[in-house]
Amino acid sequence: MTPVLVLTGFLGSGKTTLLRHLLRQPEFSRTAVIINEFGEIGLDHDLVEASDDSFIALTTGCLCCKVRDDLVATLDDMLRRRAQGRVPPFTRVVIETSGLADPAPILHTLMTDPIMAEYLTLGGVVTSVDAVTGAATLDREAVSIKQVALADRLVLTKSDLAGAAPPELLSRLARLNVAAPLLHADHGRIDPQALFGAGQYDSRDKSFDVRSWLGEGPDEHLHHPHDADIQTYAVVREAPIPAVALTLLLETLAEHCGADLLRLKGIVNIRESPDRPAVIHGVQHVFHAPTWLARWPSDDRRSRMVVITRGIPQGWIEALIDALAAEVAEASGSQTLGA
Amino acid sequence: MSQDLVAELLAQSLVAWRLAGNVRRMADGSLALSYNGIDITVEPAPPGGPFRWMVTVAGRRRPAVSLVAVLRQVRTALDPGYAKNNVRVAVAPLVPS
Repeated sequence: MTPVLVLTGFLGSGKTTLLRHLLRQPEFSRTAVIINEFGEIGLDHDLVEASDDSFIALTTGCLCCKVRDDLVATLDDMLRRRAQGRVPPFTRVVIETSGLADPAPILHTLMTDPIMAEYLTLGGVVTSVDAVTGAATLDREAVSIKQVALADRLVLTKSDLAGAAPPELLSRLARLNVAAPLLHADHGRIDPQALFGAGQYDSRDKSFDVRSWLGEGPDEHLHHPHDADIQTYAVVREAPIPAVALTLLLETLAEHCGADLLRLKGIVNIRESPDRPAVIHGVQHVFHAPTWLARWPSDDRRSRMVVITRGIPQGWIEALIDALAAEVAEASGSQTLGA
Repeated sequence: MSQDLVAELLAQSLVAWRLAGNVRRMADGSLALSYNGIDITVEPAPPGGPFRWMVTVAGRRRPAVSLVAVLRQVRTALDPGYAKNNVRVAVAPLVPS
């Protein structure tokens, strides 16, 4: 499976500068890049120089509005040409979205299109934020809030211009997406490995880096902030969850929450699979089929889900898990399981 | 199963759906929801049948196979603007193969 890194961020937030630097790094060799620009005449792709073993494709128009056509066609073409040896044998894909794009439809496509599902896996979402103008952009542009909320990694750019990163912006980013580590780019320079670790897929050992993906670090405590109606919180359950209850939970969230569930990702202790946890991932009403880790990544065997929502109370998701687990346990004749 | 668990689920569901109703535990084991002049009763179905719950809305009693179905019936009754989203959960094994 080839990991796909989605690089997003509002107009002028430094995505192209970041990408230009990354493509010069040996760690980013053999990368296929899709640059999406809003408007019929693209420019960004001219600003990015790929090495001999990487290449760049361009799409125009707003990727999130015509994603099914353009993105799928572009990726399909890349994969076919790779199979035919007509392009360098890339081992990762980077999609740089238009600054005006809502990343959610792009993630949907990567998660649901059958061609994509067979060959590609979402490697993570990286969102650039301008240290100088980021706060005003968040005030003014709703899509920029969504770009931040959906990120696995946030990259603060132009902090060399702003001096020390503005504390108000930092606290706001932390409130919008408490699970995403905040990285700093110096003139577009950043450690590529810090971005590789952004998603489910770790290209170094072909495994899931779940703790990183969930934003778990030395301080795993998640708070309950809110900003522009978006909240991020962690739901933790000690007791294993029956597999059927997990399926019912995901279906119920998809059915009732729709666009209010911006993102859900987590590692779940399944009662029927005590040694192999399930990794779940959903964006709005679309969920990946759960994948299974070969083993627990740490001694912590609790189910942990990071939820980014607009107005869905944490108590509802917790009550859903507890009630569905109890109902399934009762129906299957075993003892009641809950929090 | 515990009446408290179901009561909490229904109460939290009203919050999630932004409906300012209330949930009351009744002595006979049923739960009564009220919102905007609409009364709903949720109670365990008689044992031995294929259904787990009975949901009564405005005097009409209908069965439900699971709590998921209960939530669907309750929300449909209380929230006229509700149009359920198409559920898109990929087919996958419930446990690793």
